[in-house]
Amino acid sequence: MPATLPLPPQLEDDPPQATRPQAALPLPPTPLQLARAFVGVALAGIGGGIPAHTRRAMLNRGWLDNAEFAEAFTLAQLTPGPNGVNLAAMVGARLGGKRGALASTLGVLTPGLIAMTAVTVLLLGLPGGLPPALQSALRGAACAALAVMLTMVGPIVRVGWNLKAGRLPIGAAVTLLTFVALGVLRLDLLPVLVVLVGAGLVAHRPAKRTHDNA
Amino acid sequence: MTTPELVLDIFLTFVRLGLTGFGGTNLAEMERLLVGQHGWIDARTFANGFALGQLMPGPNLLAVTHYGLVIAGGWGAAAATVGFYGPTAVLSAAAALLWKRHSAHPWSLTFRDALLPFGGGVMLAGVLVLGQTSIHSWAAAALAALAFVILRRTRLNSALVVVGAAVVGALIGL
Repeated sequence: MPATLPLPPQLEDDPPQATRPQAALPLPPTPLQLARAFVGVALAGIGGGIPAHTRRAMLNRGWLDNAEFAEAFTLAQLTPGPNGVNLAAMVGARLGGKRGALASTLGVLTPGLIAMTAVTVLLLGLPGGLPPALQSALRGAACAALAVMLTMVGPIVRVGWNLKAGRLPIGAAVTLLTFVALGVLRLDLLPVLVVLVGAGLVAHRPAKRTHDNA
Repeated sequence: MTTPELVLDIFLTFVRLGLTGFGGTNLAEMERLLVGQHGWIDARTFANGFALGQLMPGPNLLAVTHYGLVIAGGWGAAAATVGFYGPTAVLSAAAALLWKRHSAHPWSLTFRDALLPFGGGVMLAGVLVLGQTSIHSWAAAALAALAFVILRRTRLNSALVVVGAAVVGALIGL
């Protein structure tokens, strides 16, 4: 059944006018062009939404079309690690090989690294720790950060949840068991990964010539 | 005191966190290792760092740089950042090139289908842990719910919502 790539979840902030490349560049981008594009993506993506901004940046420059972006996005979901940076590395590799991947990764990380280092040094340098008002402000920001995360969770969880092996709702079962094992029981991730991803591999193994293996 | 052993330990811990963060952020494991197992930071610093990360340009897990800096200064920040982002970026670039050649292979689809629900569960666990570290009062729960509704109903940039929530938090003394 799952012979097609699942559609990437709807990205927030996704203008319909960006679904088509406006101009196709004859040449693939240089590493410098990629780095510059991804610095722009990072600056636009304050508060998240890196995939949506990456999509817009690539389509507007004509470097990728919609289908190519959807494939890169799905792949970025599947490789471990932070999605936004993975996506930059993948798009960079696809467009500019190893140097393209390096340039894109550095581009998407640099603005935030500078800002985060500056803010942290300032906060740590405060005598007597954080003032109460700032502490309260950060608590408020943390509530909104949780909300940002919640808006992303739905579409992403749904893709895995709906996977079935035959009639077995293995996707829902693995999602729930992973949540309980890691979130409620706070078990070590690696053994949980081995067991549950192992179960998924068995359940979804490519069809053999016989059907009698239960 | 920052020793080479500590910096190496930070590096390896963040390599592991980066490589085990399927489907995005593995907050549950990060909290378990940094706060619980190593005791490098407290739960408050963990939540603060995550909130700061949401305000920064770029990927929202720049909190790792904050944690590294808090644990062991500049070397800690470098170790955490390079460890967290480096290996997964290399892996992603390699996967992009490999996938172009092997996406039709039946086992590629098997791997994808096995990983997707696991990634979903990891994400849900992260939400639970983040909720436990940042929601300590009815006011905080209401603020989070309000932010969620605003994010769902409007196209407001999420950074603006986070900044707005910070202002509200300061005003009501959350």
